[in-house]
Amino acid sequence: MSDTPIIAIVDDDEAMREALLDLLDVAGFSARAFDGADAFLAEYVATPFDLLVTDIRMPGIDGIELQTRLRALGSSIPVIFVTSASDAPTLARAREGGAFAYLTKPISDECLLHQIHAALGRDDD
Amino acid sequence: MTEAANIPTPGASMAWWEFDMSAVRALIEALPAEEPIERELAEQLIAGIRVHDVNAVAAYLVGPFGGRDAMVGESVGRFWPTESQAVLAELLVALVNDQPEHRPRSHGITSLMLSDAGMTVRLKPDVTDIVEVTVRGIIHDHRSRWSLRASEERYQRLIQHLPYALVQVDATPMDPVFAALRRDGVTDIASYLAANPALVQQARKIVSVTGANRDAVKLFAAPDTEALIGPIGYLFAASPTTPHRLTIAHFEGRRSYSELMKLQRFDGEVRDVQLSATFPTAPERLDVTLLSFEDVTDRLSTETQLRRLQADHARAARISTLGELATSIAHEVNQPLSAIVTNAETSLRWLSRDDPNLPKIEQLTRRIADSAHRAHEIVQRIRAMAVRHAPERLPVDINEVIDEALLFTRHDIDSRSITLLVEREPCLPLLGDKVQLQQVIVNLLLNSIQAIAQAGPKGRIELRTRADGHEAFVISIRDNGPGIAPENLDRVFEGFFTTKDDGIGIGLAICQSLIIAHGGSITASNHSDGGALFQFSLPAAAET
Repeated sequence: MSDTPIIAIVDDDEAMREALLDLLDVAGFSARAFDGADAFLAEYVATPFDLLVTDIRMPGIDGIELQTRLRALGSSIPVIFVTSASDAPTLARAREGGAFAYLTKPISDECLLHQIHAALGRDDD
Repeated sequence: MTEAANIPTPGASMAWWEFDMSAVRALIEALPAEEPIERELAEQLIAGIRVHDVNAVAAYLVGPFGGRDAMVGESVGRFWPTESQAVLAELLVALVNDQPEHRPRSHGITSLMLSDAGMTVRLKPDVTDIVEVTVRGIIHDHRSRWSLRASEERYQRLIQHLPYALVQVDATPMDPVFAALRRDGVTDIASYLAANPALVQQARKIVSVTGANRDAVKLFAAPDTEALIGPIGYLFAASPTTPHRLTIAHFEGRRSYSELMKLQRFDGEVRDVQLSATFPTAPERLDVTLLSFEDVTDRLSTETQLRRLQADHARAARISTLGELATSIAHEVNQPLSAIVTNAETSLRWLSRDDPNLPKIEQLTRRIADSAHRAHEIVQRIRAMAVRHAPERLPVDINEVIDEALLFTRHDIDSRSITLLVEREPCLPLLGDKVQLQQVIVNLLLNSIQAIAQAGPKGRIELRTRADGHEAFVISIRDNGPGIAPENLDRVFEGFFTTKDDGIGIGLAICQSLIIAHGGSITASNHSDGGALFQFSLPAAAET
């Protein structure tokens, strides 16, 4: 793992993508945002992302399906879901797929950053 | 000869018999000729005569199953119709005792099976004690007496065992009454009865039950059939206006009449029954009007339950639609809201630093404002969604719309024992969308019903339509619920404003959108005597 981990953000909502990018930036992370699972997967092969922060409800491949595909590709990248969907079945599917964390929108910045640090194996600073 | 060929066709026919008189010769010779014979003696005499032979017509008309073969050698008394036994006996006595000529004798007879009937008796020449009897007449019913009797028995058995309570009524005493009314020129019997209720009272006394089957005895919880025989009044003890309608149907010459009525049993219990009356027409027996009573008490209560279930289902569907709507609204609004929260928190992080990135903070703040606007747009869009289509512009009778809206809410109103008062003035037609206006009224009624439910029992809703000059009319819906808190009066039509725990506050907002789309206006207020008062006015269609 490099010293500056690269975090991928996948969300179809532009305002949310920008907000997350700015939050991770001010917190000292390097991040790249994608407007959908397809765009992320296209980039994934070339870029060794350290963490994935993704929405669930998206057009095309949804966040949980994206996690499944990554596992199928042999990836063990930690996945943090940031979503409006808070129903039990969706939460269960996310867990079964090996999600690292599951946060419901609107998220607290502290909470997200804490989970990111934990996922990257760092202590909170 | 085949059986079919033995069946006489309707029309002129002749039955032919040969009687063996040997057993009664002595009895006849002891009797004076040309004198009336007492009935008992006639029966005794005919019982002593044996059938020597008969033709197919005779066998068919009065014979038993088995025809001629079952008759020969048997007593004539077994077969000869009662109504003409006396005439037969007199002719036979006259023939035998008319020494020495033994002239043939003829006489007209009364017959239930033949018209213009007559019979002739003569001694058969060269044979001792054999008399030839011929009966001529016109067969008007091709059925034999045996088959008629069997048919009558079948009918009686059927009536007895039908799984419906059947009561046989003799309504003929009303015939002269009706005839008199017709002579007096009465044609509108309903109006006549309204003015002369005594006639129905009279019918209850003079029309009588003359028979009843097993199920009728059971339905009425009567000790036996006899208990049901008598004036019909008791049949309608729990349904006093039924005889009125029966009388109308009978007078108008209707074949049948049916209605749902209440029936009081002999033990006092009241049941719901479906009454069906069948009035006789010629050639049926005019003294037999059949009344059937089907006990539908259980079925009705099942139907009531079913209706309640359907209403529950409709309500559940309504809630789930609103629930789904609420979920998707929540999701839509949550997106910009999440961005706002994260952007605000990021701004705070920058601001807490020693070297705040002011251009970044300005950008974040701008984004916060953008997202907030976006959230507002979503809310606006939802309100617009409620008026998804431009309303139709067709002539609408608002009173008709109200009737239909009441149908939708009838169960909710009835099941809470809410008193509903509807007062309407004839209103000019308006151009509008019937379904949308219906939605407004249903929504307002449901609102009132829910408000009343919060307030407790003795609910009351008043719905009024009032013409407001030639230009418009006003519909008001007032309830006796807790009313609207004064501080909320200005806000009730706002989207997502609600005082209900489970409400999402779009009902009245939608109502307002729809009314405005119709060129009208809606107001909410509290009535001076308590309760909420919603009023909306709609412009009348321009006169063409």
